[in-house]
Amino acid sequence: MMLLCLPSPLRPICDLRVLNHFIKEARDAEDAMKSCREGCSLSESVTVPQTTVDFEIWEKKNGSEQAQEVQSGLYLLQQALSLLRASVTNTALHSHIDNSLRNLLSINAVLRSLNIQEYTPPASAAELEGTWRVSTATDLLQVHVNFLRGKVHLLLSDAQACQQDVS
Amino acid sequence: MKCAHLSRLVAVWLIVCAVWKASIVQGARDFEKKVSMLLREEPQNPKCFAEGRKDFTCFWEEDEERAGSVDQYSFTYTYQNENSSRCPLRALPAAGGKRLFICRLNRTQMFVQMDIKVHRLGTLIHNRSLLIELVFLLDPPANVTVSRTAHRDQLNVTWVPPPLKYMDDSMMYEVSYMTDDDSHVGQVEVVRASSELILRGLQPDRKYKLRVRVKLDGISYNGYWSAWSDPVTMETLPAELDALITSLTLIISFILIVLSLSMLLSHRRFVIKKVWPTIPTPDSKFRGLFTVYGGDFQEWLGQTNGGAWLSPAFFYSEECPSPLEVLSELSPCPPLPPKTSRALTTGSGEDKAIQTTSDNRELLESGDSALTERWRATPHDSWLMDRLRALQQNPVPGSQSSLLESQDAYVTLSANNHSGDQHLGDVLEEALPLQAIFASRKTALCESHSDLGSVQLSSGSGHLSSQSSFEYPGHVWMPKGTEYAYMAVADSGVSMDYSPHEQSGRLWETRDLRQRDPSS
Repeated sequence: MMLLCLPSPLRPICDLRVLNHFIKEARDAEDAMKSCREGCSLSESVTVPQTTVDFEIWEKKNGSEQAQEVQSGLYLLQQALSLLRASVTNTALHSHIDNSLRNLLSINAVLRSLNIQEYTPPASAAELEGTWRVSTATDLLQVHVNFLRGKVHLLLSDAQACQQDVS
Repeated sequence: MKCAHLSRLVAVWLIVCAVWKASIVQGARDFEKKVSMLLREEPQNPKCFAEGRKDFTCFWEEDEERAGSVDQYSFTYTYQNENSSRCPLRALPAAGGKRLFICRLNRTQMFVQMDIKVHRLGTLIHNRSLLIELVFLLDPPANVTVSRTAHRDQLNVTWVPPPLKYMDDSMMYEVSYMTDDDSHVGQVEVVRASSELILRGLQPDRKYKLRVRVKLDGISYNGYWSAWSDPVTMETLPAELDALITSLTLIISFILIVLSLSMLLSHRRFVIKKVWPTIPTPDSKFRGLFTVYGGDFQEWLGQTNGGAWLSPAFFYSEECPSPLEVLSELSPCPPLPPKTSRALTTGSGEDKAIQTTSDNRELLESGDSALTERWRATPHDSWLMDRLRALQQNPVPGSQSSLLESQDAYVTLSANNHSGDQHLGDVLEEALPLQAIFASRKTALCESHSDLGSVQLSSGSGHLSSQSSFEYPGHVWMPKGTEYAYMAVADSGVSMDYSPHEQSGRLWETRDLRQRDPSS
């Protein structure tokens, strides 16, 4: 919440322990969902970003393309988790989902601190490339975890703002 | 030129081949290590691991007897939301009668689930789902270096992490260290996202063996612990004394050294005297003997007449106290008849007057106190008077007189070197008597001759003279039982250290004072 209230421009947040914390909480949510038996289903299929990282392809993309891909994926995950939050009746999962939603917003703030351009979502998610469709809450949360561990982590660890700060 | 160029190419090619073979051999050894490790630690089949960002290896093991040909097996993998693919297999012999079937991919997709299926002759024998970024098995850290620090109980360990982009911050290490004698018991330190570690709390002056291994931290990436690096041995520095004790010891030592030097410098004369004692020399008692006459004692005696250079201590030495006979004081008076004031200096007729006495030695040995006593009133005054009268009646030719005064008798023993009388000179020279002429109160020294005047030969003789004059004016001193050759010498021809000394009208004169040789 503190990150949401911080005005820009922000000091670059290059410490990956912040993202690691979000990843751990996303994993906790996934584990909680796996153990859920009732009241933890997704009402409808949702569009989620692809989490696959082929390093040969990834390294050929420039920073802007990588950032665009990450920001669109975060947008899609926000939409999907919001739908999941509405679909799940298990109160224990509500905290996990809420936490995950907050973390996605924080990640957006971190991206803003790294001078990454604001993302403008499309009118329709179908227009986006590199997406998947999932129908279960478990798959959704698995994608959530994998996206954070993969593309988001790669983008932050290779951010130009953080490379200049180190040198 | 062509031959040289060709030979160079051949040499380079051989080197490259050697390096390539060496790397292959090393790679093969590393692969064998990893296979062995996974066979121990991973229960699932196939056993899979990633060594970098783009490679992926899976294998399983079968008994040689049961294993079929590699064609009987198929290895298929399917990424999430993608079609399946096949991986070509190869078989390798393994230890213990085993065979390995290996699948290796050179391009992978991470952060996505992978489903693996192994079939043998259409039968599924192995099935596994995994994420490749979670099964890393890295090479051990390279260039492990151990160095000492400023502290005795510390060692600094550094290493080079595996060269994986994006993953440096996700690596964790274990540093194992143990002493040489502890072959099984060791300690482990965990380090995250760093390639350096300072080990603390070590034992000083001990040899430690250290090794490092690496693993991904399990958040974004995960995997197995790598093999241990090759051990590095380093010895800690020996224990030192406490800094405070050491500094105090140095300060105290410095203070002691300074004090010792100060004492040595303040007592350097004493130290020098003890270490290099001064060899006594008789120079002080024989003035001029060594400096002027080069140690020639006879010459020194002849030139100095013995008495002028003698120190007061000499007179009072035990060996030869000067036999000083004081007869009377000379006071300023009319000149006496020449014949009456002559001192025996030469001639056989003077034998009566000149006699050596056996008591000289006694006198010499009696010392200063004896001489002093002699100057007191003695019962030999009449004898002296007789002798003086005898001298007056038989004057010695060639002598000068103006000293003797009628009522004063004096006895002098002298050897006049300038008189030319060898006999007398020899006798006197042998006897070395000390002669003193004292002027009484009543007599005055008149018409001073060349050698008249009070002579202070030395402080000793002066002392003697003055003492006798002060205490015993007019007294004639006569040594007991002594017979001296007495003569009055007006002009000895030798005058040394003459200094007028007048006290209460008295004039003391000394002429030709000679130190009597105690050996004669």
